[in-house]
Amino acid sequence: MARLREACTVLVFLLPVLLLFAIFRFLPMLGALGLSLTDYRSSDDWQFAGTGNYRDLFHDTIFLTSLRTTLGYAALYVPLTLAVALGTALLLHAVPIRGRGLFRAALFAPYATSLVLSGVIWRWVLQPTGFLEQPSTVLPALAIVGVWKGFGYAMLILFAGISNAPADCLEAAKMDGASGWQRFRHILLPALRPALFFVLVVETVGAFQVFDTVYVMTGGGPVRASYSVAYAVYDYGFRYFDVGHAAAIGVALWAIVLLVSLTQRRAFERNP
Amino acid sequence: MRRRWPIAVLSLASLVAAAPFAVMLLVALSPRAEPTIPHRLPSSLTFDNLAGVLATESFLRWTLNTAIYSAVSVAAVLLSAAMAGYVFARKRFAGRNALLWSLLSTMMVPFHALLMPTMVVISRLGWSDTYWGLIVPTLANAQAVLLLRQFIRALPDEVFDAARIDGAGDWRIFRSIVLPLCRPVLATLGVFVFLWHWNDFQWPLVVLRTDRMRTLTVGLSTLESGHLTAPELMSAATVTGLPCLLVFVLVQRRLTSTISFTGAGR
Repeated sequence: MARLREACTVLVFLLPVLLLFAIFRFLPMLGALGLSLTDYRSSDDWQFAGTGNYRDLFHDTIFLTSLRTTLGYAALYVPLTLAVALGTALLLHAVPIRGRGLFRAALFAPYATSLVLSGVIWRWVLQPTGFLEQPSTVLPALAIVGVWKGFGYAMLILFAGISNAPADCLEAAKMDGASGWQRFRHILLPALRPALFFVLVVETVGAFQVFDTVYVMTGGGPVRASYSVAYAVYDYGFRYFDVGHAAAIGVALWAIVLLVSLTQRRAFERNP
Repeated sequence: MRRRWPIAVLSLASLVAAAPFAVMLLVALSPRAEPTIPHRLPSSLTFDNLAGVLATESFLRWTLNTAIYSAVSVAAVLLSAAMAGYVFARKRFAGRNALLWSLLSTMMVPFHALLMPTMVVISRLGWSDTYWGLIVPTLANAQAVLLLRQFIRALPDEVFDAARIDGAGDWRIFRSIVLPLCRPVLATLGVFVFLWHWNDFQWPLVVLRTDRMRTLTVGLSTLESGHLTAPELMSAATVTGLPCLLVFVLVQRRLTSTISFTGAGR
């Protein structure tokens, strides 16, 4: 009797979260796989299409373009974010504690606002330069906006990582005449590895899903030079109403994100 | 001896980080008829543009929608996640860890992978273009559950044992012990959830159809720079972003330390 009561309590407390995740996470996860095997356009206009959508992806020049664009964006955004975040985190440690709070707040402030707001401001700021109208400069421009908005998060994680580095080791190395670079390379960097790995995965996963700035600043243009995979899902689903194809692109994005984070994990495990 | 150049570099970086906001504010406060930045600084400042934006009917409506979206979501996420966090932290039951891991695994699924099927679910429920459709799907928040579970697990066992001996039931313990003790973490998490929802764009963009249901981010994205003068556009941007910046200024110390220690907030 007591056990039954206990089981009821557990169920009641879990119920809201269980229902939310069942209906809006797990059901759509299955639904994504299901939809991607159909040519769904509306609830009374669909047929089973087998793996047709996936086979189409390999010939779909728009999807392949979006894949290239997204890779290009990630190749710019991720290293830049890591570099800026690591640089500012190291600098924060080099200034007196009393000044840190102010700098940290100022550098992190863009993170508290929306990407739409960033996009609207930067679209206006960049308008005279024409960067957003040229295929060669549009991705760097978007990446810079992304970095400006988002590096504060990585900075805080790395800052905490640096704080965990063994202070006595650093002090001893300094006494023994180790240079700044040697101390960074042999003491700080090993201590930072977990934080760096976390930030790398999180920022890469984020970069592959770039959408808001693309939607607000370029609409995927010019001539699809900033047409990301996430934007392709939106475009197919809500402009062409080709739900099955959009779902297949979504599943492909899911697979790519999983693959990339697993690869990063293996790379980190292999090089201790 | 500390060197000076880190301060100089960080000051410069802080200026770069803050500059776009300064530009936004300055342009928003510039008189409409005059040329302003980048050609010259405004000769005088005016609140006319901001007042004009706030007097627009659709803008007020968007602000109200955003406030409802954020406020209801904060309350619902905190309550549901605290309830689940309590059970995950303090109860033993079959499949507990597997269930927690499966909730957490959903954080690795890209939003756009679930976009189309979630829209099908929403239209089946008849929730397109409604507050229900806007709010309910965004309440499934694995990060919140994890954060509260970690916090509640770290609370001292003695508190719970004492309450049990006094004959308190689970609901009583949850209400008069867990919730009060969790106040600091609930406050921080509440700010995060507020910011996520106030700033959310992708979900409101697809689930809402009509102008009067829009949130501020979606509304702002529909304002074309061609149709508005720069001061009007930047006034709209200011109204959209100011609440977040204010909240951030008030609680930034707490937010930044939570991110540093738990990695929450992404």
